[in-house]
Amino acid sequence: MSLFTPFLLLLALLRTPLFVVIAASAMLGFYNSEIDLSVISIEIYRLADMSVLLAIPLFTFAGYLLGESQASTRLVNITNCLLGWMPGGLAIVAIFACALFTAFTGASGITIIALGALLYPALQQSGYSEKFNLGLLTSSGSLGLLFAPSLPLILYGVVAQQMSLDEPVGIDQLFIAGIFPGLLMLTMLAVYSMLQPGIKRQAESFDWATTIAAIKAAKWEIPLPVIILGGIYGGYFAVSEAAAVTAVYVLIVEVLILKEIGFRQLTVIMRESMVLVGGIMIIIGASLASTNYLIDAEIPTQLFDFIQQHIDNKLTFLILLNLFLLVLGMMLDIFSALVIFVPIILPIAMGYDIHPIHLGIIFLANMQLGYFTPPVGMNLFIASYRFHKPVMTLYKATIPFFLILLIAVLVITYWPGLSLALLS
Amino acid sequence: MNLAIRFLHRLEDSLLVFLLSALIVLASTQIVLRNLFDSGLVWVDPLLRVMVLWLGMIGAAVAAREHKHIQIDVLTRLLSSKILVPVQVLVDLFSAFVCLTIAWYGLTWIQYDYADQIKSFIGVSAWMLEIIVPITFSIIGARYLGHSLQGLLQYFRPNLKQDSTE
Repeated sequence: MSLFTPFLLLLALLRTPLFVVIAASAMLGFYNSEIDLSVISIEIYRLADMSVLLAIPLFTFAGYLLGESQASTRLVNITNCLLGWMPGGLAIVAIFACALFTAFTGASGITIIALGALLYPALQQSGYSEKFNLGLLTSSGSLGLLFAPSLPLILYGVVAQQMSLDEPVGIDQLFIAGIFPGLLMLTMLAVYSMLQPGIKRQAESFDWATTIAAIKAAKWEIPLPVIILGGIYGGYFAVSEAAAVTAVYVLIVEVLILKEIGFRQLTVIMRESMVLVGGIMIIIGASLASTNYLIDAEIPTQLFDFIQQHIDNKLTFLILLNLFLLVLGMMLDIFSALVIFVPIILPIAMGYDIHPIHLGIIFLANMQLGYFTPPVGMNLFIASYRFHKPVMTLYKATIPFFLILLIAVLVITYWPGLSLALLS
Repeated sequence: MNLAIRFLHRLEDSLLVFLLSALIVLASTQIVLRNLFDSGLVWVDPLLRVMVLWLGMIGAAVAAREHKHIQIDVLTRLLSSKILVPVQVLVDLFSAFVCLTIAWYGLTWIQYDYADQIKSFIGVSAWMLEIIVPITFSIIGARYLGHSLQGLLQYFRPNLKQDSTE
């Protein structure tokens, strides 16, 4: 195995599809252990044993549908009426709207595409500098990752559940654990926005008439977060049920009631969203095989023993973990990072007495930064395309936001209580 | 040949739309039954899980058609297109090899289950549900083979504009 690892790594860096790299590493491992290679297909077929996976196509489809409809406009309008009158209001609007939209659409860069066009000129008008706007919108594209029902949170739960830990990792628990860390990030960004020089106060103060009009316009979408978040946090729905309800609800509202999506477009959206789902599922499938091999070969245990010889305390481990995850987030998209590295890191982290749910929040919070960390953070390129700005401009614009969120990530990492308080 | 390929594309696209629609209908029916009537159909949950697998596998086959698989784009940004094309040919060949190997060994597994007449839920033979794994891996493998052939053509005759025939 050790001989081929650099070779596989090189292939991965040269744009080999990640599922191929993962499957190849599992194949090599099994081949060396003289296990028949039909095991790969058998492991992939285990995808059909995991009932939580049902949530993935349903949430992805609902997210795509929301992204294609006018829901983003209505969301911005209503947030603007409710929060826009505050000092720094419009930036706060942007932060909250992006977080909510990302949580529901699954952090695939769609937030920048859907909300960026609305928020960018509006922010410009209310006196924020261009640099601030670009930085804010680029870094907000991954905000909300820690709130239910975000797909990466679900995926972390799926992967962790595969590992049969002593301490079960419930997806509903992850949803609860993400609340305070997510709010911390929102608050820190909001405060920073309020402190920006030169912003004009929105001319209009809070206005009942326009607020009611905005609420009326969004009357079909407002119940969605209420039903879903209430259902999940209240313990009425399992995650896959919440996903089914979301998909049906969004389908009825956007296609049948508001008629913003035609039948033809609907089939296109269904197909497109399932292509993304296919890309994620096959990586999960391949990683079921490679994880099985990793555990058989006791690789996490060996790694842990090795690391423990050099790092004897939790604090040093956490610092190194942060560094490692930041680099990882720059190189890998969040889905692959989760399925490839959680099976390796989780047992090691538990050896250092880190709670598996806390680790999930640390992992995702770090990955969220990776979305807009130069040179290869995905959202930098999406924003560059969306706002027609060179990537270098975005690198510079996101620096202050990176630093602020980095502080948030450090707080989240070194203060387990922030994540775990609501659980006990 | 071209007709067969177009038929396959049409079939894959339709299956994605059909399976997702069925998934939504079945999953929500189950919720209604469970919550309002306190019952539920026993065969629905395993069926849903298999449908998710089929959706994922077919989606992955379509993703291979359109180069939409998740990959890392770090090193390739630094390479000139002169090196990039042959590198991509090799990478595609490697992907084809891995996928076709998985498909080949997967077929032996299916054969065993077929010979032993292993049953899945509600009496469906297990192999009928399992066969999607080798089928889609064969398609994905064939597609990467096609991509690498295209790359070769492009490398040796860069001026020739060829139509997609994978």
